[in-house]
Amino acid sequence: MGKYILRRLLQAIPLVILISMTVFLLMNLIPGGPLAAYESPGITPEDLERLKHELGLDVPLHIQYWNWLSAIIRGNWGTSIVSGRPVLTEITERIFNTLYLSIVAFIGSLLISIPLGVTSATRQYSKIDNLATTIAFFGQSIPIFWMGLILIIIFNVMIKNPNTGGPLLPGGGMSTIGSDFSFEDRLKHLILPASVLIFFNLGTHVRYTRSGMLDVLHQDYIRTAHAKGLNKRTVILKHALRNSLLPLITIIGLELPGLFNGALITETIFSWPGMGRLFFNSIDRADYSVMMGVLLMNAILIVLSGLLTDIVYGFLNPRIRFD
Amino acid sequence: MKPQSHIQKMLGVFFAVSLILAACATPAPTSAPATSAPAATVAPAATSAPAATAVPAGPKKGGKVTLAVWQSPVTLNGLLGTQTVMNVVLNLVTEGMTEVQPDGTRVAALAKEVPTVQNGGVSADGKTITYKLKEKLVFSDGKPVECEDFKYSWQAIMTPNVGIVSTTGYSSIDTIDCPDPATVVVKYKAFFAPYLTLFNGSDLIPRSAGDPKGMKDWAHNRKPVGAGPFTIEEWKTDEFIRLKRNDKYREAGKPLLDEVVVRIVPSSEVAMQLLASGEVDIMWNNTEADTPQLEKMAGVKISAPLQIGGERLFLNMAENKDPSDPKKPHAILSDVKVRQAIAFGINKQRIIEKLLNNKAKPGSSELNAGYFECKSIQAYPYDAAKAKSLLDEAGWKPGADGIRVKDGNKLRLKYSTTSGNKLREDSQVLVVEDMKAIGIDMFIENAPSSVVIGTWDGGSPRRHGNFDIIMYTTNAGIDPHSQMVNLWSSANIPSVDNKGGLNYTRFNDPKADALLKQASGEPDPAKRRDMYCQLAQMTYDQANMIYLYQRSAIDSYRDKVLGFTSNAWSNTAYNAKEWSLK
Repeated sequence: MGKYILRRLLQAIPLVILISMTVFLLMNLIPGGPLAAYESPGITPEDLERLKHELGLDVPLHIQYWNWLSAIIRGNWGTSIVSGRPVLTEITERIFNTLYLSIVAFIGSLLISIPLGVTSATRQYSKIDNLATTIAFFGQSIPIFWMGLILIIIFNVMIKNPNTGGPLLPGGGMSTIGSDFSFEDRLKHLILPASVLIFFNLGTHVRYTRSGMLDVLHQDYIRTAHAKGLNKRTVILKHALRNSLLPLITIIGLELPGLFNGALITETIFSWPGMGRLFFNSIDRADYSVMMGVLLMNAILIVLSGLLTDIVYGFLNPRIRFD
Repeated sequence: MKPQSHIQKMLGVFFAVSLILAACATPAPTSAPATSAPAATVAPAATSAPAATAVPAGPKKGGKVTLAVWQSPVTLNGLLGTQTVMNVVLNLVTEGMTEVQPDGTRVAALAKEVPTVQNGGVSADGKTITYKLKEKLVFSDGKPVECEDFKYSWQAIMTPNVGIVSTTGYSSIDTIDCPDPATVVVKYKAFFAPYLTLFNGSDLIPRSAGDPKGMKDWAHNRKPVGAGPFTIEEWKTDEFIRLKRNDKYREAGKPLLDEVVVRIVPSSEVAMQLLASGEVDIMWNNTEADTPQLEKMAGVKISAPLQIGGERLFLNMAENKDPSDPKKPHAILSDVKVRQAIAFGINKQRIIEKLLNNKAKPGSSELNAGYFECKSIQAYPYDAAKAKSLLDEAGWKPGADGIRVKDGNKLRLKYSTTSGNKLREDSQVLVVEDMKAIGIDMFIENAPSSVVIGTWDGGSPRRHGNFDIIMYTTNAGIDPHSQMVNLWSSANIPSVDNKGGLNYTRFNDPKADALLKQASGEPDPAKRRDMYCQLAQMTYDQANMIYLYQRSAIDSYRDKVLGFTSNAWSNTAYNAKEWSLK
């Protein structure tokens, strides 16, 4: 097992380097470049030439890439071209905000969707099944931005707090500006964005739980368990559930890096200062070093979560061997 | 009962996790000062005060105003950034020698008076500018504002390899002398016409900021110190910037507010919602498309002064090749009658009515607002008949399909702008319709803005010259000198040897060059204004640049904020010291 993990990790190194190289090239293919943002009537061509030199953008691409790679190997993620702050500072400033929102939404979604999916599968075509599949369908099809805006209009603009006369729920941000830490305040700010994300995640999670469960329920060993005289609950929760979760685990594995990426649209609508906005802004400003930092982090996370998924598979299904 | 207990356990874990996360996400909740308590509740004093005690009339003091901006500042060091939103925040924190009023005139701020030739502040050759500082000026940290700070700021700007965005103007300074702490003598190497635009706020850095060589790591970048009405308390990236009243501000009794919060939201739609619900009091930077919705919001007002500059069509007078030779004329657009026909043939008013909710003005010339406004120039009127007769005169006769023909060639032109900008794309459709009506076939071919307004090496057509008509917005700023030189000097025609040239219409007129040279040595702004106006008239007659419309700088605010006025020359927060609450 240890050997397997080590081998997989070693294999990942050239892969990550290859990814970073591709990303670097693609990034430089985007027309414009970081200096486009500076172009304005007040900035002379001489200013632009000087900046280009100072930012190290006047050397050939392969040298730019080598400079970046050799710095990364030494643990230096570089500094943002636009803000001049270290890329790691830019990332760490936001990553906890993103994890806070995405993990709450993720766990919240699983807590709802697993019981819902299981019930829905065991009582196929019942009212509750129809309801669950309808919710899942809506969760997947309603655009996040629309849902977010509707929630803001209802809970922030239309419904007022009867005590204060202000909005019932805040329309954005993580906490009330300038106030001391309060759990209630945090929770209030969390409700709307987390609800949107949970609703969206439900779609996928319910469907995978349901179809996984349906698959397993028709297997012989389940019939055997029933024939042994075990009660229905034990059969479903002890025998069926574990095996039925395999497809969901794959999906969750793929979603793990997403927890760190942040939900761009949700973060944008609810003014959440997270990774999604950092990445979007860095693309907007062609801030190469921040883009590279975020993408590298992503590449590593995807490789790691792939590994993690494979390992968890082994625990859930002992037939899978690592050699 | 087993499953329930499972779920209960999981729920417990869920809440525990969310608690931990909630705590994690606030690394230092204790640092938030508790003193900023309910600033909004200071109201009673004024209203419940008994009539007997004569309460002096005038704006109320104290309180907090929240300003929503929908761009996130990346730095607050004015030397390292160009964002408009950065300047909004810096306008709250900094002050400089002079400031621009909404009408485009200058008043003194830190300086005793605006230097002119008449008051001896400007030498006869215009190369030496002498400022006298007001008495007892201090930065918000209590350190004095002295000549040495201006000298230090200039030296900081001229520091290589720290990423200074613009050294324009500062690089023309020879020395700064400090005969006494309150006198700043700036000596330029050569006459620098827009000298009044230097040292006006964000470019005044206190000596205490640190060694300029280490500028990238300055604490000043996140927490600038200035002589302005407010000081920065706390900046949470992508969330908010909280500012408190600067008690050491030079004007007694100002600012009126105790606190200003700049709330950073991700989009203007979000800002509009927060303005509607009353969570924010002022919204920075609206567009014309927002105005119908804003006008419907109860308790919301709009401020919309006209801005200088605006959307215009660049008509390429040189051949359309890549790269083009500016000496070879464009097959169609080199004829002034064709260019004028296009100018007469565009119904600007229709664009303004249909696309800009009537919140703009037809474009007239480069100098359409402020001190340097060239009032004698009026926008080309819409006159399709005149346009047609001009084309007839130029030898372009209507063909079978209505498109004009000359020597077997069709009057067909490529019309480009930045893709993805709805207003631009919609206005293109209207212009193409207008052109069709007079027999010109314009076809649209757009590209991303980074290409259209890009660099020579990025293959930008405006630089290479392989375009017929390009449309976008630019403006001359408070002092139009560099814009006039960039757009009209023949030395600025882009080419392989002059990749940074900005004279995209390839305008080449020795008279214009002579006027620009003369203006570059004229210390009297009034005389310069006349020269620029003459130049603007020449280009108006040539119609190589067709000004479509002039937009307004639109901000919106709740009516509980008093004293709010926008300033198209500065920004949303230019007079924040005068803001108060109802």
